[in-house]
Amino acid sequence: MSSAVSLRGVSKAFGPVQALDSVDFELAEREIHALVGENGAGKTTLMRILAGLEQPDAGRIEIAGRNTTIPDPQTASRLGIGMVHQRFQLHPSLTVLENVVLGAEPSSYGLFGKRRAMRQVGELAERYGFDIDPGARVSSLPVGVRQRVEILKALHRGADILIFDEPTSVLTPQETQGLFGILRSLKDDGKAIIYISHKIWEVLEVSDRISVLRRGRNGGEVPTREATAEVIAERMVGHELPPLQRAVQREVGAVAVEAHDLEVEDDRGVMAVRGVTFSVRKGEIVGLAGVEGNGQRELIEALAGLRVPTSGEVVLGGQTVTRYNLYERRRLGLALIPEDRDREGVCAQLSIAENLLGNRYRDRPYALAGVLQRRPLLELSHDLMGRYAVRAEGPSALVKTLSGGNVQKVVVARELSGQPQVVLAVHPSRGIDIGAMRAVHQELLDLASAGSAILLVSGDLDEIFALSDRILTLFEGTVTGEVARATATREVVGRLMLGTGRAAA
Amino acid sequence: MRTLLRILVTFTAALAVGAVILLVSGRSPLAVYWLLFQQAFGSTSAAADTLLNATPLIFTGVATAVAFQAGVFNVGVEGSLYVGAFAAAWVGFTFTTLPGWLLIPIAFVAGGLAGLLWALLPAAMKAYLQVDEVVTTLLLNYVAIDVTAYLVTYPFLAPGAANSMSVPVAKQAELPRLLASSQLNTGFFVALAVAAAAAWLIRRSVLGYEIRSLGLNPWFARTMGMPLARTVILAMCVSGLIGGLGGAAHVLGVNYRFVQGFSPGYGFDGITVALMANNSPIGAILGAVLIGALRNGGTTMQLFTNIPLDLVNVLEAIVILLVTVDVGIRIRARRLKREPVA
Repeated sequence: MSSAVSLRGVSKAFGPVQALDSVDFELAEREIHALVGENGAGKTTLMRILAGLEQPDAGRIEIAGRNTTIPDPQTASRLGIGMVHQRFQLHPSLTVLENVVLGAEPSSYGLFGKRRAMRQVGELAERYGFDIDPGARVSSLPVGVRQRVEILKALHRGADILIFDEPTSVLTPQETQGLFGILRSLKDDGKAIIYISHKIWEVLEVSDRISVLRRGRNGGEVPTREATAEVIAERMVGHELPPLQRAVQREVGAVAVEAHDLEVEDDRGVMAVRGVTFSVRKGEIVGLAGVEGNGQRELIEALAGLRVPTSGEVVLGGQTVTRYNLYERRRLGLALIPEDRDREGVCAQLSIAENLLGNRYRDRPYALAGVLQRRPLLELSHDLMGRYAVRAEGPSALVKTLSGGNVQKVVVARELSGQPQVVLAVHPSRGIDIGAMRAVHQELLDLASAGSAILLVSGDLDEIFALSDRILTLFEGTVTGEVARATATREVVGRLMLGTGRAAA
Repeated sequence: MRTLLRILVTFTAALAVGAVILLVSGRSPLAVYWLLFQQAFGSTSAAADTLLNATPLIFTGVATAVAFQAGVFNVGVEGSLYVGAFAAAWVGFTFTTLPGWLLIPIAFVAGGLAGLLWALLPAAMKAYLQVDEVVTTLLLNYVAIDVTAYLVTYPFLAPGAANSMSVPVAKQAELPRLLASSQLNTGFFVALAVAAAAAWLIRRSVLGYEIRSLGLNPWFARTMGMPLARTVILAMCVSGLIGGLGGAAHVLGVNYRFVQGFSPGYGFDGITVALMANNSPIGAILGAVLIGALRNGGTTMQLFTNIPLDLVNVLEAIVILLVTVDVGIRIRARRLKREPVA
């Protein structure tokens, strides 16, 4: 087995942070090699080095057996390394064809050889079974197809080594299966693929070999057929994970939050939520599954009081609150873990304590007669930082000095402490490591056991299935189905998320 | 602490750039700066004059800083200063029968209220109609300057006065001087007290928490359920109030009457001070003293040497340049973030 890529003893430090510490990595030809690890484990840094975006402090890089350096992305491209980014680097107003050839246009006498480009792209698409119209404008394409454009772009530049960075984070289960098919056909055609992910089951399904990175060091390498999810998870976090504790029989009580015929517009005035009705009872976790951009944001904002619905009603604890603002709804026991942690969840330049204060800053004992009280806040901060295992120097540490997982713990600690009646949890574990994710999930389960009603919004079916009692699917602003978790399968939920399934009981 | 250091670093950097300019024009920077220092701090009366020059800048710097803390780019403190000065003067020359211990506070309150009301219109337009406050507050400055000029040119022109000015305030409304050799007066202590109060408001009050949250991350403030429009308006009110107090202090402490166009741009220097201080009210005191020293030292230096006051303007311009590079980056970041509407 010859190597397409071989990295030996690669190290890279950013200031005091050792992002990579003498890491070895080997990619064989005709192989799908998965690279897994928690956030901040160094996956992205390693790939940026391969893509010529970062220079290693030490170590050797061999491409196809030849010692080399990759000073810039152009060199990477010449060496046959192509990257499919998590955030697509496409021009929405150009066509598929134009995007694919942009920067590497076939030309004759300085004129764009459109016919030749068309032929090249058509051949590529056919070879790998992409069903794609080269003349379509990218802005009109669904996400899964845009990703194929991105792949075509790399192939058109002659990439033999393809790097996929979290490629499924924006895909539906069906689109994910489609991607896996593409990956396999690429492999069969002789391409070598690095597949970066933190979703273990995906990696187990698609890869040939799995390498684990843990805190910038090699965490071991296993052939996929010998790997199990538990083993990989343990290697990622470095210790065994406690299983989720789920109350055997939860008391499901009265309706805590309900939406009636809710219609909500997005920022552009386009109807994003079209007549949604549902309710969540006390002690219940309802998962709202859907591909991002199908009205989740607008629905949650309407439930939270951040966006005025054009019609319909929101009822919180038996009280119609459609006209209440978020502050008033919070007073009725609403908690919100917002979608965008860094932008909406915290204020990075404020301290941990001041961030924990956010949802109670006008309440006793934290404020008296308009004056903030330091001591109660300090006590609260110490207590919450202990309970939620926030790793930081102390309550006065600025949130911007924390890692992503710890930032999310601050958000979760603030929102879930103080017995909320209703929790709107949007992507509560996005971008945080497995250990922190497990803690957040356990906290949500415990809250449900204690009688809170929880609406969990997630595009990650693992998360939806791990926590929900019932699953609602949202597609283009309407609820396309409702299934009990016990009877649900990924396939059914996935189809409902695409609006192609039918509601099962 | 870090803020104070930042101010000194900025100021020193400005002096360094100024030194190059001086060298190019064939003068010894060390000699010029030593002279400048002598004129600003070399004697009790020189130091007192520096503090006298700093006093209005503390007011305008703190006023600007409070608005900036909320992310509201109020550049209209100059306007609040003018209307506050006029209101205080009017009280001072109208209720002349009141004793000083009553007249002075009333004049300050009137000045503060006038400044507050002046800030209210752009505040409401920003909060409810999303009208850019930079434009409205900037333009309203000229309205304030011209309206007050009209008032003391026609209805309130002092009889027999050659220039546009009001009659003097009652003798008992004058703020006591601290030294015989300088015009420095108790208005300086009012300025210090206002800065301390503003610092307390920002750091310790519920409103201050809302102001800081809104200014640092409006999305966070929104998600916490904070009243965004109200916070914008209140921050502008506090800012206008402090600007108005500054006008009152200048009338009662220095001019003893309203003089048309009395401010050489205190409101605009206040922006420099606030930016230097990174919007810290306490830092604004130091920033104001440094700019005050430049102004004071530069003026006397011009009298006795052939070094023009322009040098001071150049130095201040460099300070502004240095701090605005930083602020410009932040404003750009803010625009890119696409703020939620209040």
